[in-house]
Amino acid sequence: MIEFTLNGETVQTDEDPNTPLLWIVRDQFGLKGSKFGCGAGLCGACTMHVDGAAVRTCILPVAAVAGQDITTIEGIGSPDALHPLQVAWNDFAVPQCGYCQSGQIMSAAAMLEANPNPSEAEVDAALSGNICRCGCYNRIKDAVMAVSQSPAQFVDAMAPKAKAEGVKA
Amino acid sequence: MSIQNVSRRGFLKSTAVVGGGLVVGFNLTGCSEPGPLPIAKEAGSWVPNAFVQLLPDNTLKFYTARDEMGQGVTTGLSTILGEELDFDPLAMEILFAGVHEDYNNPGMGVQATGGSNAINAHYPQLRQVGANTRALILAAAAVDLNAPVAELETDNGFVIYGGKQYAYGDFIETASGMQAPEDAPLKSPSDFKFIGRESARVDAIAKATGTAVFGIDADVEGKHYAVVRRAPVAGASVVAFDDAKAKSMPGVTDVVEIGSGVAVVARGYWQAKQAAEQLDVTFSEVELARVSTESLRRDYASAIDDASVGTESIEGDLEAGQAASAITLDSEYWTPFLAHAPMEPMNALVRIENGVADVWSGTQGPVAAQNLVARFADLDPSQVRVHQSYLGGAFGRRGTLTHVIEATQVAVATKKPIQLVWTREDDLRHGLYRPASLMRIKAGVDEQGQITAWDARRAGGNISPDTIKNLLPGLFPSIGEGTIEWTVGLATSAFDGWVTDPSSVEGLADDYDVANKRVRHATVDHGLPLTFWRSVGHSYTAFAKESMIDELAVAADQDPVELRLQNTANNPRLQNVIRIAGERMKAMTVPVGHHLGFAAHHSFLTDVAEVAEVSVENGAIKVHRVLCVVDCGTAVNPDIVRAQMEGGIIFGLTAALYGELNLEDGAIKQSNFHDYPMMRMADAPRIEVEIIDSGTEPTGVGEPGLPPIAPALANAVYRATGQRLRALPLRLS
Repeated sequence: MIEFTLNGETVQTDEDPNTPLLWIVRDQFGLKGSKFGCGAGLCGACTMHVDGAAVRTCILPVAAVAGQDITTIEGIGSPDALHPLQVAWNDFAVPQCGYCQSGQIMSAAAMLEANPNPSEAEVDAALSGNICRCGCYNRIKDAVMAVSQSPAQFVDAMAPKAKAEGVKA
Repeated sequence: MSIQNVSRRGFLKSTAVVGGGLVVGFNLTGCSEPGPLPIAKEAGSWVPNAFVQLLPDNTLKFYTARDEMGQGVTTGLSTILGEELDFDPLAMEILFAGVHEDYNNPGMGVQATGGSNAINAHYPQLRQVGANTRALILAAAAVDLNAPVAELETDNGFVIYGGKQYAYGDFIETASGMQAPEDAPLKSPSDFKFIGRESARVDAIAKATGTAVFGIDADVEGKHYAVVRRAPVAGASVVAFDDAKAKSMPGVTDVVEIGSGVAVVARGYWQAKQAAEQLDVTFSEVELARVSTESLRRDYASAIDDASVGTESIEGDLEAGQAASAITLDSEYWTPFLAHAPMEPMNALVRIENGVADVWSGTQGPVAAQNLVARFADLDPSQVRVHQSYLGGAFGRRGTLTHVIEATQVAVATKKPIQLVWTREDDLRHGLYRPASLMRIKAGVDEQGQITAWDARRAGGNISPDTIKNLLPGLFPSIGEGTIEWTVGLATSAFDGWVTDPSSVEGLADDYDVANKRVRHATVDHGLPLTFWRSVGHSYTAFAKESMIDELAVAADQDPVELRLQNTANNPRLQNVIRIAGERMKAMTVPVGHHLGFAAHHSFLTDVAEVAEVSVENGAIKVHRVLCVVDCGTAVNPDIVRAQMEGGIIFGLTAALYGELNLEDGAIKQSNFHDYPMMRMADAPRIEVEIIDSGTEPTGVGEPGLPPIAPALANAVYRATGQRLRALPLRLS
């Protein structure tokens, strides 16, 4: 039995301790926002926060996070209460296919927590582990820089009705 | 299960009961009798056509016929409809359409998305649907309000009369009993309020919060994962395998041989993957196993020089053109195999229960998903429900649904709901590829800078045989294997000597005013599966064509922009983007050590010119800035046009700087992002996009941003180093 904190709640798993955290979070706890992209820690689609640090979870055995604090994209904001980066992602129309964006935001959020006023080079460095095959890099960087420079502008003040809900299945 | 995504007649009976109302069929073409729409009609709602459901509370549901792979098509289509219907697309509830012929791509005749055609193909259709629907709402309002139609206006979902506003939803009951006009007048573009507006994407918040659902996010009770151990060389089949060790691994429930390899089934993906690595499989020997990139390139080189093989088309008098030229150049260009590598690996979830199948997979062809599941589960297509979702990138790759077939085969064999997931290694090593190409262009210019002759050749594989092979069972689920083989054989031999596969040479000898030209094509196919890859033939022909133009300009001591302008009189829209991009290039302030390269190309009805600013430091090419000038007619959502140009440029830079898959003993050597790298943020240039609105119908944007960037980059590298690099990826000597 391995116990850790997931988005503020204490959870346990009986799965094989070598199973990567990504799959435990997706399949046992049903949080699908973190994505599988490469299975080798090379693309960043699976990025979560482990005790506040951005970590690639497709190669992180769940045993390694026992007793630690895990935050996923679902833990930093939601359509009803957007994180400032999520507001900026909408304002700058960052996503294209969107598959990598949870990982991009988690890497950016961890960086801003540690370094609220990064240089462009520091943003490059913090996000260089996250691939965006659609090529949204200019917009990601612009959105992150804008949030760092004037965070107050990106507090979620949108009325729920004003938020496009995306396409439903 | 969402009832909105249910497709086909067999399920609509129950859906209709759940929905508490009738399901209304509607066929725009009127040329056949379609089945009922896969729309769950809600109580008291109105479904005037296949794209719209209006609820009494004025909720407007829009059913998107095209697949959202990041290109912004759902924002675009909802904007086109919303413009004429007078309803803000950002306020619509948007749903993925089920499978039905009313959702066919008007430019293709099937329910598929690709070729950068969706906005162009649906523009007249959805405008008319929007206008007709609005006219009907006005007609109903005139009855209900007892007012002359001429005195009614609309404003974003409301009818305005006598200073009061009434929700569209107020008139549902009356409208339901009325006939929609077929040709309600369309707005004048000068009255557009949503088309051309700077506006958010309808999917940005869902994708920024992790709530957007992709195929891989589908889950059902009892789901098991499958991972397939595949032959290292394409086309080889399983001869024998030992699964003792794999079966002893934790979580493993089944091991199943399927056509493409051996599938291991387990409760978890990771367990299935670990176990698949423990299989001991012997595969058959195939010809391709004797091929390496070096041997393949030698085969291309002998074919390109052999006048006795291949096809050709000739315009004018090539010899006379060559005789008239003051300068003649003859250059050879090489472009390698490439994988699409969308961030979401191929995957499909198939559940078969009580003679009914469900498939969850983000595809570029939902009807093919339905038919393939039916074919391999031995069901009627009416008994297969397709659950479309967002596509985590596609770029052409999600038009071939081998993974849907595999998931169906494993689900049939194990009687379990199976989510089959390709590893990234599978994606790079066992997929379908952008063909490699050897191209040669012999071209001449006269003293006045007029191109007098253009003799272009290409050797390599064609995408059409594999496309036909994969498409046929997706379109005709009962087609016999023999018929498929016969048709593919016919296509293969046709493209081998009778006709040129258009996608193999598209763009190689176009765009410029050359009276005397020849295009020769030699098919050399070693059996590696090939398919569409973002911008298809243009992805390599533009590199050869625009490099040669630059070489001619240098040799003739002409300005490369002027040379292009002089030779594009017959293509005024292309000439215009060249002129504007040329002016912007002249106005650029370029730091010492930075150099500019220029290229332009017409593809998917769109004209694009690009300028790349590069430096070369310590032997490494650094791209600092890219300017892009695009004319795609009416820009339905200008910011998405910019985003697609940005994306196409980054995609093209990845190919130009790093992209290469190599064969060794017939197997792809590269395996993951460490040896098949993607451009990352630190290396991404600043991209500035200028949209030229020529006021015509909208044309493609998903692909046309890509072709000019590799030659623009290579032309800049020439200016920086004096090295003319004629092979991709670019490597300085």
